[in-house]
Amino acid sequence: MNLAEWILTLVIFAPLAGALLLLLADPRDVKQIRVSALACSIATFLLALWALILYYSAAHAGAVGSFLLEKSVSWFGTSSGIDIRYHVGVDGISIWLLMLTSVLTPLAIFGSFTGIQSRAKEYYCWMLVLQTGMQGVFCSLDLLMFYVFFEFTLIPLFFIIGIWGGPEKARAATKFFIFTVAGTMLTFAGVLYIAYYHYVNSGRGIFTLDIPTLIAFGKMHGIAPAVQWWLFLAFAAGFSIKVPLFPVHTWLPLAHTEAPTAGSVILAGVLLKLGTYGFVRLSLPILPDASLAFAPFMAVLAICGIIYGALAAWVQDDVKKLVAYSSVSHMGFCVLGMFSLKMAGLTGSVIYMLNHGLSTGALFLVVGMIYERYHTRDIHRIGGLARTMPWMAFFLVFFTLSSIGLPGLNGFIGEFLVLLGTAVSNTAKDGFHAGPLGYAYAVPAATGIVLGAVYMLWMCRRVLFGPLTEPPHTPDTSTGLSRDLTAREIGILVPIALACVWIGVYPKPLMEAMQPAIHHNILAAAAIDSTGTAFAEAASPLDGEQLAATDSPRTGRRNVATGGVPAQAGAEPVVRCDSSSTRPGRGGRNAQAPSADRTFTAGGMSEPLSVTHYGTMPASLDPETPLVNTRRD
Amino acid sequence: MHLFDYIHDLGPEWILLIGACVALLFGIGRASGAGRVSGPIALITVLVALAVTLWVGVPAVGRDHPPGLLLTPFVYYVRLGGLVVGAFILLCNLHVPVAEERGEYFGLILFSLLGLLLTAAANDLIVLFFSIELVSVPTYVLIALSREDRRASEASLKYFFLGAIAAALMVYGFSFLYGVTGHMTLTSADGIVPAMSTKAAAMPGLPIYVVIGLLLAFAGFFFKIAAVPFHVYAPDVYEGAASPVTGLLGFLPKFAGFVAAARLLSVFGWDVGDAVLWLLWIVSLLTMTVGNTLALLQTNVKRILAYSSIAHSGYMLIGLLVGPALVATAGPMRDGVAAMLFYMVVYGTMNLGAFAVLAALSNKGEAVEELHDLEGLATRRPGLALALAICVFSLMGFPPTAGLLGKVYIFTSAFSVGAGHAFAKPLVVLAIIGVINSAIGAAYYLRIAAACYNRPPRIEPQRSGGVALRVGLGLCAAAMIVLFVFPTLLTGPAKTAANNLLPPAPAPAVAARE
Repeated sequence: MNLAEWILTLVIFAPLAGALLLLLADPRDVKQIRVSALACSIATFLLALWALILYYSAAHAGAVGSFLLEKSVSWFGTSSGIDIRYHVGVDGISIWLLMLTSVLTPLAIFGSFTGIQSRAKEYYCWMLVLQTGMQGVFCSLDLLMFYVFFEFTLIPLFFIIGIWGGPEKARAATKFFIFTVAGTMLTFAGVLYIAYYHYVNSGRGIFTLDIPTLIAFGKMHGIAPAVQWWLFLAFAAGFSIKVPLFPVHTWLPLAHTEAPTAGSVILAGVLLKLGTYGFVRLSLPILPDASLAFAPFMAVLAICGIIYGALAAWVQDDVKKLVAYSSVSHMGFCVLGMFSLKMAGLTGSVIYMLNHGLSTGALFLVVGMIYERYHTRDIHRIGGLARTMPWMAFFLVFFTLSSIGLPGLNGFIGEFLVLLGTAVSNTAKDGFHAGPLGYAYAVPAATGIVLGAVYMLWMCRRVLFGPLTEPPHTPDTSTGLSRDLTAREIGILVPIALACVWIGVYPKPLMEAMQPAIHHNILAAAAIDSTGTAFAEAASPLDGEQLAATDSPRTGRRNVATGGVPAQAGAEPVVRCDSSSTRPGRGGRNAQAPSADRTFTAGGMSEPLSVTHYGTMPASLDPETPLVNTRRD
Repeated sequence: MHLFDYIHDLGPEWILLIGACVALLFGIGRASGAGRVSGPIALITVLVALAVTLWVGVPAVGRDHPPGLLLTPFVYYVRLGGLVVGAFILLCNLHVPVAEERGEYFGLILFSLLGLLLTAAANDLIVLFFSIELVSVPTYVLIALSREDRRASEASLKYFFLGAIAAALMVYGFSFLYGVTGHMTLTSADGIVPAMSTKAAAMPGLPIYVVIGLLLAFAGFFFKIAAVPFHVYAPDVYEGAASPVTGLLGFLPKFAGFVAAARLLSVFGWDVGDAVLWLLWIVSLLTMTVGNTLALLQTNVKRILAYSSIAHSGYMLIGLLVGPALVATAGPMRDGVAAMLFYMVVYGTMNLGAFAVLAALSNKGEAVEELHDLEGLATRRPGLALALAICVFSLMGFPPTAGLLGKVYIFTSAFSVGAGHAFAKPLVVLAIIGVINSAIGAAYYLRIAAACYNRPPRIEPQRSGGVALRVGLGLCAAAMIVLFVFPTLLTGPAKTAANNLLPPAPAPAVAARE
């Protein structure tokens, strides 16, 4: 048995197996149930870590960018040209989201030890089942399987919110479920239609929903633009509710406020990423023309979300609701970055997913820890907690800073790359063609960062500093908590904090894994610029010269609304996945690294920023070696 | 045709007939304990019939058939699905009748099942009519026998009178078909279609009386499947009957109605003219929309499931409408009838499972029917709550259950109609309306799941029914998961069935040219 083939299956289904075993446990022995659930999720984490190691060793053996650790088994039978499979595999994007899931779930379970007192067995079963669902989404390489896991995650979370939630749990759970289902049912129709369309038009005579096959189909602009529009809308219906994008975000604050702490952590940390991951994995590569055409529209929605979420967060009295609205704002950045359709923006967007999962997940944990002690989250009823809870204060400030993008912590990397990618998106230079966005989008989005700093720091000041305010008869330490954080709680937060520092200081391994994948599976695959409409400008976003050129209106802005439709869909694709670009290990080792003391001026920012902490750049960020040859000779 | 072949080819039907008579005879002996064996006899009969079905295998196409019947792979699938779900139905019904009525009760279930099997095999208008009524007539009695309650008698009467009207409409429609063609045989060289073609060779399209005949016949079928506008009886009847019988009502008459409709359409090769196809289109749309919308307003679980049963008929009508003939390309099921056949068996199982859970509960001797009676079931009866949740999520079309795959097959079949066909666009629209309806459906199914899990218990439900009932509902729930993981168990036979449904003879248009 080849382990590399089966490792992902093991990772996906280990929590489910654990949950089934847990069903046998005695419901009264809560302690044993807790420990078994934790052990199961830690075992899953170790398996995922193993998968990561296998992935990296395979990647260095020469298959960067494509899907690795694949395993595929027929599901719908093999007769009469049907090829719907159980197909798993990961690339540089999904492996890290898988890691995020496997890191956050044990921490969320560990964090529920004191908070969950009733029906503990069911609770931990649902948590483990949820983990299987989430990991399945990130590993699926068959669209129907993707949908199955995507939809399945609703069931455990519905019960987690509905059973262990706050006073309005019934309404919150139902609203969350119905909103999401309303969207995903349209996605479902899109999924089925795309299979039919591929069957009829690919000429291969196979009814398949294999994601790599569909990406290759998208690469050839196999889907007619008008059909792409409809499919994009169908996909976006499901994904943007999940993200959630601005007008359909209303379920999120309610769900977050009512969910138990671990539910909020998983919801913000992983489940929202299912939406953005859906865009990145499916919409962009399979529907390249529609993605380009809809990019300004999506970007405007994202910016509305950024600003609206920030303003709404500012006026919240409930700390948890404040963090929930900050999620709306942050996920806007994530969507904005990916629709810049540039390497920088997409890298930033994917890193943003990880960052948001870590920082916001941790913030929800800290807020949950406060709530367990004071039974209130009202910002007016608690204050000055830094005096009595120095550890908690440290972590709250730390994750706040991480969340608002302090350089040196993780948030900065994502925010910076997203804004950079957005700003330079419409730059056209030397055969690289303009993307859909530009400064007009980056500048309003950047105000979201300022607002983010305002409301988060304001919240910190109110909760941590000033005169000590505590509700009467608190803190409640009846469940074995101490006044300040216990060792268990510190143990939960420390790994997240370390991950934040690591991503902030040394994101190279992340980016090295992501960029070939982004290039291979999104940009080059969805090679919009085969007829010159500029999707895959992969030159370094850190290239000073190019940044300078952003101000020069040499080529003018393309009319993106019509520019997205390729005139010669059948033409020879000019964009090649250049072998030099995906050569293994070329990244960090061979490429000329930008000198460590190099500084540059990022568009719109007056301060020169040091990039010393980036270390050496992967090939894709290296100005000397453009990944994609898009020159029109 | 040799006598042996006659017995061999119709093995399952003979066994059901004999078993039904034996079960009935044991009931006549009112001596203590005699009736007690009727239930086990019925169950064994069904299992033996199932074994014989597997042993006889898929009937070979093109061999001699018993008079009035046509044995095709289509029949094989209906036998398979009908008998498997029939066994589940019997398990869930074993505890229902009072001691003196056991013989009649189980005999009637077997007769109804026999009617379903014969409906699939019928190759003659009269046989078709008798078979489909053989399904329905026992159900009128079963509802009345199912519980000592005035509502049950009322439901039985309502169902009987409306069913009689529907049967009259159907047989009136058949008389038009006979009147135009002078033939009774469905698929045959001297059947109704060739006769019609030779008589009307000069005229394009179908003779108007054939269209009228088809519309009237479909009115009868719509009643059996509870499609709008013949759906009004469903909520009252479903509510009135005891839950295990309601599970039966959601399967046997419905399956028979769809089988008969598919059989009749297959005779014409789905070439029945725009009027009939548009009628199916409109009825499908109305059925799923009305069913889902009205289900939202209910608080009684049985009424919710009754309206949802109407909605599911709407989804299956999409499959029926697509049919094999409309399909220019292949979907995962190749055609709509295969999708419909798969969906029907899956629906019958999950619906039965949900009703069986209701039957397995009682509240101080009263049946558990209201939504608030289910509150807190997960803490009181976790196993039953889990089974109900699986069935409900399957009805919703959620992973990891076969209900999702049923929807996948149905909606893909609608997308798979070739772009050149006049019905391609309307069918895509219909599928999208179906998808939106699924989202509406999620709302009321969710209330059932939420009541079981998310609310504190209000009542202390007692167990009701026997071990067999709990085994039956457990099997229903487990089947949903198993069919999700291994859909080929059912899709294989369904595809073979649908592929061989169309007559091997040339299509009517070709025949007319000759």
